[in-house]
Amino acid sequence: MQYPLDKAESGSYFFFMIFLKHADLDELLDSLSGDYHVYVPVNTARGAGYTRYRGPGTDYAVGGIRSFDPLKSFYFLGREKVAEDFKPDIPRKNDKPPCMVGVKSCDLKGFKILDFVFIDEEFGDPTYMKARRDGLIISSDCTAVGENCFCTAVNLNPWPDSQFDINLSPVDGGFVVELGSGKGKKLVEEYSLLFRNVEDVKLDGAVKENRKAVKKEVEVRVAEKNIPAYRRLERIVTKQYENMEVWEESSRNCVECGACNTVCPTCHCFLLYEQKTDDKFARFRVWDSCMIKDFARVAGGENPRARLWMRLRNRFDKKFNYFPEVAGEIACTGCGRCIAACPGKIDIREVLARLEV
Amino acid sequence: MKNPYRSIKTEVLKVTTETPTIKTFLLKPGEKLTFRPGQFMEMSVPGVGEAPFTPSSDSEIKETMEITIVKVGKVTEAIHDLKPGDTVGLRGPLGKGYPMTKFIGQDVIVVGGGVGLAPIRTLMYGLFHMRDQIDKLVYRAGCRNPGELLYRSELEDWMKRSDLDMKLTVDQADEAWNGPVGVVTTIMDDIDVNFSRARAVVCGPPIMMKFATFKLQELGVKDRNIYLSMEKNMSCGFGKCGHCRIGPYYCCKDGPVFTYDMIRDYPGIWE
Repeated sequence: MQYPLDKAESGSYFFFMIFLKHADLDELLDSLSGDYHVYVPVNTARGAGYTRYRGPGTDYAVGGIRSFDPLKSFYFLGREKVAEDFKPDIPRKNDKPPCMVGVKSCDLKGFKILDFVFIDEEFGDPTYMKARRDGLIISSDCTAVGENCFCTAVNLNPWPDSQFDINLSPVDGGFVVELGSGKGKKLVEEYSLLFRNVEDVKLDGAVKENRKAVKKEVEVRVAEKNIPAYRRLERIVTKQYENMEVWEESSRNCVECGACNTVCPTCHCFLLYEQKTDDKFARFRVWDSCMIKDFARVAGGENPRARLWMRLRNRFDKKFNYFPEVAGEIACTGCGRCIAACPGKIDIREVLARLEV
Repeated sequence: MKNPYRSIKTEVLKVTTETPTIKTFLLKPGEKLTFRPGQFMEMSVPGVGEAPFTPSSDSEIKETMEITIVKVGKVTEAIHDLKPGDTVGLRGPLGKGYPMTKFIGQDVIVVGGGVGLAPIRTLMYGLFHMRDQIDKLVYRAGCRNPGELLYRSELEDWMKRSDLDMKLTVDQADEAWNGPVGVVTTIMDDIDVNFSRARAVVCGPPIMMKFATFKLQELGVKDRNIYLSMEKNMSCGFGKCGHCRIGPYYCCKDGPVFTYDMIRDYPGIWE
């Protein structure tokens, strides 16, 4: 039997589609649970949130919108032991890698930033690199639009186009499967009894229709919020850099809780701290927030960003100037989590609109 | 995979009190650990915390290193309590350090202030090792008062060197001080080098670095030839934790030594 090739590898589209039934996904995840910590999105009062897959009874939903918890929290833990005593060992190195199910396009874009930061030969973050290397990503199209979604404004589609192993496009009775990596291809080959080749033009049409409808709805919301055009985002942050009033106005309601940093799929800043227990000591890496006053303060007392508006400006500068300059990517994925999380109701879409004068 | 967060177990061999708030620690790392002038180390007191410091000893000495530390916060307070025989952690070397090859064939002006004399000590040793490859060598250093002058007897020896044009100043003199009085920029007017080609190195407190840089510009040193040792909040030391960003750079990974033209346009560089 011939298997359809990964688009990225063959550069051409194929005629057959791969189809996975709902029940077969359960069976796949059951089997994958042996080698991976499998996480699935479960609907809660706060929206979709990741939870450990606990067998066929787990009530999860692959489509919908992105989870409220950012994908980074499974690759770069909020608080993680990174070294113990003076041992060169990497803590948790024998843990099972994550298998994330139902990952959305915005979170996958976050990997472009996090990979740039954490993967390198000399000083790469070992736990991040291991989770990325050994982990499995089963992504999915969005089938709904959240009130804060604006991915199309940052040049993303509400369906994944890269960074996944396999992608699931929900259709009646199951999913149309797309391969995104060699690892994904191998997985489909290994579980060939679950992944079936079908020749069904209607399925293809259903996938396209959903994608088109969801994208349209995001675009309508983006238009309502007057978000500047993608190609202008970098320029307007530079242009308004010295405009203190606009940053002061935008940061007025900030209470420095750091929620925007915590939920952001691209925020990567952390702090190292030491902890002692009896005769052992350990070094921990914890998420940090650039909105907090002491973030850049040095021991001597000098603080390059002593004022709140400077810190908000720095956050935008980092996302819309720094990362495009060093990594060629805007570090905003349009997931809208920071909008949902902010107790001061600071809306990144409104700040961007305010910068465009 | 290497673990970049892990420190090397290191023994404190000797503690020298330089001033009431400054001590120099002679350290012996348990594993091979070498550095180049201007590179820094993350030094930790197990279970207490970690902070970045630039060694102050000759980088050609491979078995041990000295680090001079001012008591200013939680970690440095714990460091100041250390005694010979105690154990600390060292992580590094980190950063790029001084571009020593850029000094070959040029006049070099070194300007130091306060505890900035510590990293400069390593640099001066480095420059002495390659003294025959550089043209004129000028050292100007200052501190608040004679009691805060680091490595005083060593500096007095250096004063006698015929291959070094050196001057020291203090902001406030005491009875025993017979040298110049005033900030370091007041002893820079008699520097006699080819300014349009000279390389200058500045290390000291932010305010001193700022005015020394302006003075060097005034003398005719090009922005691209002024090397500044920047101090920023650095946690990881290798460009991941995000604290020490200056425009497109991280102070730790891309510095901590920057030419002035690299960073002059970014806000808050002197803070």
